[in-house]
Amino acid sequence: MSATADPSTATADPHGTAGHGHGHDDHHEPFLAHHFESWQQQFDAGKLGVWAFLVQEVLFFSGLFCAYAVYRMLHPEVFEYADQFLSVPHGAFNTVVLLFSSLTMAWGVRCAMLGQRNGLIGCLAVTLFCAALFLGVKAYEYSEKYHAQLIWAGADPLTVSPSGMQAGAGHLLELDPEKRAVGEQLEERLASTLHYLEFGMGVVGLLTLAAAVGIYYAKPERIGLAVVFGAISLSAIAIVIGAMASMGIHHMMHASGHEATADSEAEAAHMAEAEDEPPVHTATPGTAEIAGSTHGASVKAELSRPQRLGTFFGIYYAMTGVHALHILGGMVVLTWLLARAVKGHFTPNYFGPVDYVGLYWHLVDLVWIYLFPLLYLIG
Amino acid sequence: MATILETRHADVMPLGHAPQDNYLTHGRGFLSWALTLDHKRIGVMYLCAVCSAFLLGGIFAMLLRTELLMPKNGPEDVFLFTRDAYNQLFTLHGAIMVFLFIIPGIPAALGNFILPIMLGAKDVAFPRLNLCSFYLWLVGALFFVLMLVTGGLDTGWTFYTPYSTSTSTAVVTAVFGAFILGFSSIFTGLNFIVTVHTMRPPGMTWFRMPLFLWAIYSTALVQVLATPVLAITLLLLIAERTLGIGIFDPALGGDPVLFQHFFWFYSHPAVYIMILPAFGVISELITTFSRKHIFGYRFIAYSSVAIAILGFLVWAHHMFVSGQSAISAMVFSAITFTISIPTAIKIFNWLATMYKGSISYATPMCYALAFIFLFTIGGLTGLPLGTLSTDIHLHDTYFVVAHFHYVMMGGTLIAFLGALFYWWPKMFGRMYHERLGQISAVIVFLGFNATFFPQFIMGAKGMPRRYANYLPEYHAWHVASTIGAYTLGIGLVIAAIALIWGLYRGKRAPANPWGSATLEWQCSSPPPHNNFDAPPVVGDPYAIHQLVYDPDQSAWVPRQEKIVESEAMLERHTDAGTTGH
Repeated sequence: MSATADPSTATADPHGTAGHGHGHDDHHEPFLAHHFESWQQQFDAGKLGVWAFLVQEVLFFSGLFCAYAVYRMLHPEVFEYADQFLSVPHGAFNTVVLLFSSLTMAWGVRCAMLGQRNGLIGCLAVTLFCAALFLGVKAYEYSEKYHAQLIWAGADPLTVSPSGMQAGAGHLLELDPEKRAVGEQLEERLASTLHYLEFGMGVVGLLTLAAAVGIYYAKPERIGLAVVFGAISLSAIAIVIGAMASMGIHHMMHASGHEATADSEAEAAHMAEAEDEPPVHTATPGTAEIAGSTHGASVKAELSRPQRLGTFFGIYYAMTGVHALHILGGMVVLTWLLARAVKGHFTPNYFGPVDYVGLYWHLVDLVWIYLFPLLYLIG
Repeated sequence: MATILETRHADVMPLGHAPQDNYLTHGRGFLSWALTLDHKRIGVMYLCAVCSAFLLGGIFAMLLRTELLMPKNGPEDVFLFTRDAYNQLFTLHGAIMVFLFIIPGIPAALGNFILPIMLGAKDVAFPRLNLCSFYLWLVGALFFVLMLVTGGLDTGWTFYTPYSTSTSTAVVTAVFGAFILGFSSIFTGLNFIVTVHTMRPPGMTWFRMPLFLWAIYSTALVQVLATPVLAITLLLLIAERTLGIGIFDPALGGDPVLFQHFFWFYSHPAVYIMILPAFGVISELITTFSRKHIFGYRFIAYSSVAIAILGFLVWAHHMFVSGQSAISAMVFSAITFTISIPTAIKIFNWLATMYKGSISYATPMCYALAFIFLFTIGGLTGLPLGTLSTDIHLHDTYFVVAHFHYVMMGGTLIAFLGALFYWWPKMFGRMYHERLGQISAVIVFLGFNATFFPQFIMGAKGMPRRYANYLPEYHAWHVASTIGAYTLGIGLVIAAIALIWGLYRGKRAPANPWGSATLEWQCSSPPPHNNFDAPPVVGDPYAIHQLVYDPDQSAWVPRQEKIVESEAMLERHTDAGTTGH
């Protein structure tokens, strides 16, 4: 930047922008903190800080992965059996969404480095959209599991302790085995829950969109707030789309004829088990009859329902839940970045925050890359 | 006469009237402290906070020692507290001391104040994150207070499952408090790592860093690498208690021993979070008050890092009787022994530093000497606990209690006190009361030994820990221990008086009252807001022999000037001599 390009610079400091002399720092370098000597030092400190934070995150997740390894070793049959209840197409869809969001995030960092403001805004918006899309699909999956009563051990009425007592007493969520939904009933209940979700999110999306537009026209100086509302609107709409897409995937799977329908068959097996079987872990030939002799996926349903199905779902909810919380955290910082990008804060000199959030986002993506095969693809 | 009175008056002026602009006078009012980004003010706020926590934890300790004065006849016999109340007392004492005092004590309070100045930086790398850490500590402490008023806690500070998932006390509140405190600790560690890596001024190479910084750096590594595992464990424990996810509940297919593994994977390295900064403090004190260059600088520096690394590989020695395979018990026992090597390296280097040194018994040095004695006992009694066969006998007895109090209290607390006396003049610009300080060190030392040495004997005889009652044969030992605890309490009160007296009545402290060569003594006492206006001149941090005391200026001055002066005088003499001829 030449001194003449900025008239205020030219009048205030005829020697141009060189140097870090005191007194003019605030004027020239609004985002260089006082205790750093240079942009480079500030950037390096931030970068090392975010890497250290990511190391911390990896160790945070490592506890969950460790628990996963231990319980898969202790109860291999539970994991083998439970896997059939997870829908690979939904997981795969989410994997693609997250991978794509990593691409747009990296692209956004590149735009920030080059000072391309519009490109940066676009990339951040797409990344945010993908994050919310992911949560929409996750919301579908959780709703489905809830209605099928595929839930963690303490709330699962079918996970029975060795003493013969039913688990779940005294915990926040306690399900009634009578209310377990299968087949058509499950479809109905799931669709109804998702309609509520879509309606709620749709209302939120429209209201926040109106707020964003209103603020933008009424108080242009509060552009940051308008962006925040806009980002919430975008996220709400993405969640609606995610839920609808999940329903679409679900119908596509079941429309493709007599194959698959692993879910409902397996659930039927699960159900039958609940009614007939004593809480002893033995092979139950009865399930094979219910599962029928249809193709492929139903073979797994012939396995007996393990006594402790809730063990798998305890880990499933812990891992995906903590991951989803990280997605939410990522959405918050992406919104913050978006507001700053719209305000034009980022320059080729100062793009650190975009870079740091990018690194964080890649880690969240990476964790999912491990979660997907470990949970969905083990059958 | 009038002038003397005036100078005396100037000496006892209250702090607010300090003539020069320093960090204490830079900005006034509550908000200038509550929203400060200055690492020194954050350090002082931490200091007040952790000392309050220490007071609370100490009161619980006194109460439980008092309860143990008398043996009881049967379960209905009550001396002062019911059995349930006793369970809460030792749990609260442990949890408050560990999470609120020892872990943040030296790194967050003193480290925050000293680290950037010692390094020659203006501040830590992320001042806002630093303030955030402090408020996280505060929120965590509030959760502990909330836990105190909503049912207390009786699980022991370790929160072992399955008891912690079934007791009716406020486990979730306490665990969530510890979870938040964990993030306070992580962010402090992260800040220090980045500060040491990126904020060193020109000339401050890794091997010119004072050993306190090496120790804090190693501590920070452990904080960042170990604490997140505790965080996820506590989160799972909360989920277990509220939702019943079954991960640690054997009735639901879970495994309570997994909780112990997770817990000790953090909590053993956390032992080094507690003790490593103390090692750093002792390295500074020994060399300063022996007036001698530190012996074996690189060995001490590397041994800190070695302890930090090895500390991650020994956690299961807490679980020799929890049910693990013989082979893994043997491996963990063997690694436990290796960790005594870097620790012993430090002790030997400190002794070698003192050898032929010119030792002065200022209060910080008294505490440093107490540290070496007590920590050595604590370390050596760790060996029978790390040995498989003897541990079976000693596990969960008073021997363990005595061992970790010798290390944690005889080590960390004593070093904390020594550091407080050492840096007090720098922090507040006033000298403490020297004689009272020395007396406090002696009383603390005697009281400490009277409290915990009998516990080694009781433990070896089989007295189990965490029991509110005992057989009559242990009575005399328990009485001795309780009397020792009261003595210790009195010693600590005297130490507090010596320090607080200094705030109001102490002599004004010079920039370098001890003749140390580390950078924090180059700026005024108290330090200015920006620490250094120009980047400081960095040299050997232990070139203590370069500084000599000049009684004329009542200050430590570089030996070089002294030599030049005396040479000049010599020359004048010679000149006079020649002219005389």
